[in-house]
Amino acid sequence: MKVQRFTVALALVLIGAALFFVFYFNLYHVGPAGERTVVVMLKTSNVRSDFWQTVSYGAEAAAKEAGAKLEVLGPLQENDTAAQLQLLEETLASKPDAVVVAPINNDGVLDMLGRIQRAGIELVVMDTPLRMEGNPARVSGNHREAGRQAGRFAAQETGGQPVVAIISDYAGSGVSIEREMGIKSAITPDSYTDTYYIGDSEDQAYLAAKKILAAQPPVNVMMALCEPAALGAAKALKEAHRTGTVRLIAFDSSLYEIKLLEEGSLNAIIVQRPFNMGYLGVKNALRQLEGKRIAQETWIDTLVVTKENMYSPENQKLLFPFK
Amino acid sequence: MFIERRPVFPLFPLKSIQASIVFAFSCLILIAIAATSLIGYRLSVAAVENNSKGYIKEVINQVNTNIQSYVDNMENISLLAMTNKDVKYYISSSSFIVDGERRPYEKRISDLFQSILYTRKDIASIMVFGYNGRFVSDRRITTLNPNAKLEEQAWYKNAKLAGGKSVISAPHVQNILQNEYRWVVSLSRELKNVDGLTADGIFLVDMNLNVINDLCSQINLGRKGYVFIVDQDGNIVYHPQQQLIYSNLRTEPIEEVRSAASGTTFKVDDDGGKRFYSVKATSFGWKIVGVAYEDDLIGYKSTLGNTILLTVVGIAISLLISVVLSHRLSRPIRNLQRKMRMVEKGNFNVKAEVGQMNEIGQLARTFNMMVGKIKNLMQEIIDTQEYKRKSELQLLQAQINPHFLYNTLDSIVWMAEQKQHEEVVLMTSALAKLFRASITKDQELVPVRVEIEHITNYLLIQKMRYSNKLDYRLEIAEAAFGYRTLKILLQPFVENAIYHGIRNKPGIGTITIRGMEKDDQLVFEVEDDGLGMTEEQLERIWEPPGGELRRKGIGISNVDERIKLYFGHAYGVKIRSELAVGTCVTIAIPKLPPEVAASASGTTPKLPIQG
Repeated sequence: MKVQRFTVALALVLIGAALFFVFYFNLYHVGPAGERTVVVMLKTSNVRSDFWQTVSYGAEAAAKEAGAKLEVLGPLQENDTAAQLQLLEETLASKPDAVVVAPINNDGVLDMLGRIQRAGIELVVMDTPLRMEGNPARVSGNHREAGRQAGRFAAQETGGQPVVAIISDYAGSGVSIEREMGIKSAITPDSYTDTYYIGDSEDQAYLAAKKILAAQPPVNVMMALCEPAALGAAKALKEAHRTGTVRLIAFDSSLYEIKLLEEGSLNAIIVQRPFNMGYLGVKNALRQLEGKRIAQETWIDTLVVTKENMYSPENQKLLFPFK
Repeated sequence: MFIERRPVFPLFPLKSIQASIVFAFSCLILIAIAATSLIGYRLSVAAVENNSKGYIKEVINQVNTNIQSYVDNMENISLLAMTNKDVKYYISSSSFIVDGERRPYEKRISDLFQSILYTRKDIASIMVFGYNGRFVSDRRITTLNPNAKLEEQAWYKNAKLAGGKSVISAPHVQNILQNEYRWVVSLSRELKNVDGLTADGIFLVDMNLNVINDLCSQINLGRKGYVFIVDQDGNIVYHPQQQLIYSNLRTEPIEEVRSAASGTTFKVDDDGGKRFYSVKATSFGWKIVGVAYEDDLIGYKSTLGNTILLTVVGIAISLLISVVLSHRLSRPIRNLQRKMRMVEKGNFNVKAEVGQMNEIGQLARTFNMMVGKIKNLMQEIIDTQEYKRKSELQLLQAQINPHFLYNTLDSIVWMAEQKQHEEVVLMTSALAKLFRASITKDQELVPVRVEIEHITNYLLIQKMRYSNKLDYRLEIAEAAFGYRTLKILLQPFVENAIYHGIRNKPGIGTITIRGMEKDDQLVFEVEDDGLGMTEEQLERIWEPPGGELRRKGIGISNVDERIKLYFGHAYGVKIRSELAVGTCVTIAIPKLPPEVAASASGTTPKLPIQG
């Protein structure tokens, strides 16, 4: 009868084990299992930055769609390299499944991204074109195409005879270089006069615009590659009463630019789709986590918005971000 | 006749009964559980679908009611403005209010609008635009956006076209006020003059889009579910991912939504996953659509989880039960099988335990009976064989060698011719005694004295024949005469000693026969000082007699066998021999007292001796 007792004991143990495993796995799977953590690192998390806020809305939409956990971080001030480095360091320590980052172009940040990648965290880079070793997947606005759109719009507005001057921020800015190249590729070489660098000062832009207005041959299109450039140039044009005769085309949108567009000081703005950038950034990161192949480079298209179409349902959403 | 039928394919291709039973049980249980869980699964899926449809409907109705109430509220505000006398006078085309009197009117209207605004958080702004160019808002000072033309605004144009009916706009950015760009839903309506025919202006209420946005985003339709709204033309009024739809990264089945009747649900299954669309129409033309993902609903998951849990536990338990049951059922069979294997190996002393008197119990009982019978039969066969062999050997030993007979008779004749009457008498009487001993068949065991007499007679004859060659001595201990021995036990050895040891030896050979007690044995020795044997010869002696040897007489091995048959393996014949020195044969038998000898011997044949 020893065998009998042994069999019964064995049966009980097996049943217990089966129950335990089923419960364990059941609870484990019904619970937050498979929930992936994605950290989105913006250039700034400032609520007054419409662009980056919209990026984060897009990221949230993608995370909700996939049922992933999302954390949005970013320095309070744009271009605060130290703060972004600090946040990236914390992110690395918290070991998320993926990081979607809009990096500030800085060697320290690049090193940090390399470390994140080596730690086995999926990395997707948004917005800024940069050269780094691991060659992570990128999601960014097609800045060159945006420049081309601006160039074509200028040609169309001037009856095919544009004389273009460009007001850019810094000679080394990756985005601005791309835009400039796009503009130049859409117009004939003799249509291009010069490029002025104004940093991020509106006053410098104003002075540069005045210089352009005085230049010969007369310029009929100004391209403002950044917001201060657009504001300064618009002011100069208004003062010289040249608004409308000299076309002003700007990039990206802000409330000030929208007002300028509405009153006619700006003829067009080339806007990005930040929502799509955030959405595709997170979505690509999640796809990568699932082991699916994604394109190395995902371009977000840009739109030409003029006074006439700025209140179309589609463009309203872009110009006036609303969650 | 009963004909055994064999299936072409055995039902259970497994070797042991236990495995077959386990297999059968498991199949049965698995099929039962699979069927139950399949049915359960189907039922639960149906129930979950119904539940989720009902749940979505409920939620959508709630959203619908809320939005409807906001719109109704705007409608009510517009009615309030419509019926307000100050407003009417203020925008009247045939206005008698001069510019100087405008301020108090404006203030009163603005106060009214403001007090409404205070009570309603969902309202962003209230404004009235007269066709006479005047306008009032809920603000103290109203500055219109110089770049936004009133006549170009969609809500303005549509209200004019609707002619007195209220018009709900799609969500848009309201840019009519300077420096304000708010996302709103506008309700606008043309205000009629007192005569009810001519129009005096447009009334506008803006509702914060946040209200709808919050309402819709708070809806919980699982982790991935959401709500969206389309207007009567199929344009998306609200969608959590409106921007993705504008850039074609996402699509919704707008046509199906448009054609779906209010309160219905349809199912979409594409690469976005299985989901239910529940559509509800509002009174002002919008359709509210709730989307829920099938795999996302909590009820669904737990039901599925329970089904899996029950199935796994059920299978585990049933497998265990089937193993235990089959083990118990097949145990008596295995016991029986073990016993059978022992019998197979020749052990007939086994007895299978008979448990319950079921089929297997009966089988065990029959088996026991069968083994018993076989055992008896085997014993009988052994006994018969032994007896046969004994009588055979006895017969063999009792035979008088014809050569010996002939030679002896020849010697007698020769002696008679020589008139040696005394020798003739002596030899003839010895021969006669020899014969008598060999033909008396009544007793196998005889007193030692009789055996010694017999061998003495034999030696007498041989000595007379080989008078110049043979000498013998008898050294029998007195105690030895008290026992019994097998009949004609010593003669073969004496015969051998003479024929093989002494006859060919030059000079006289002596045979010494000894009899003595040794421990619990009675030992005889037949020793000669003849030629002796080499080791090979000694070995050959043990070979069973056959052919030539048989004719000469009976082999040493026969005698040994005979002793062992009668008394057991502890007894028998041993031979020592040395070439040119002599041979000594030792015969050991048990001490058999005269009276009890017959019954004490366990190996004495029980069957009567025949012929």
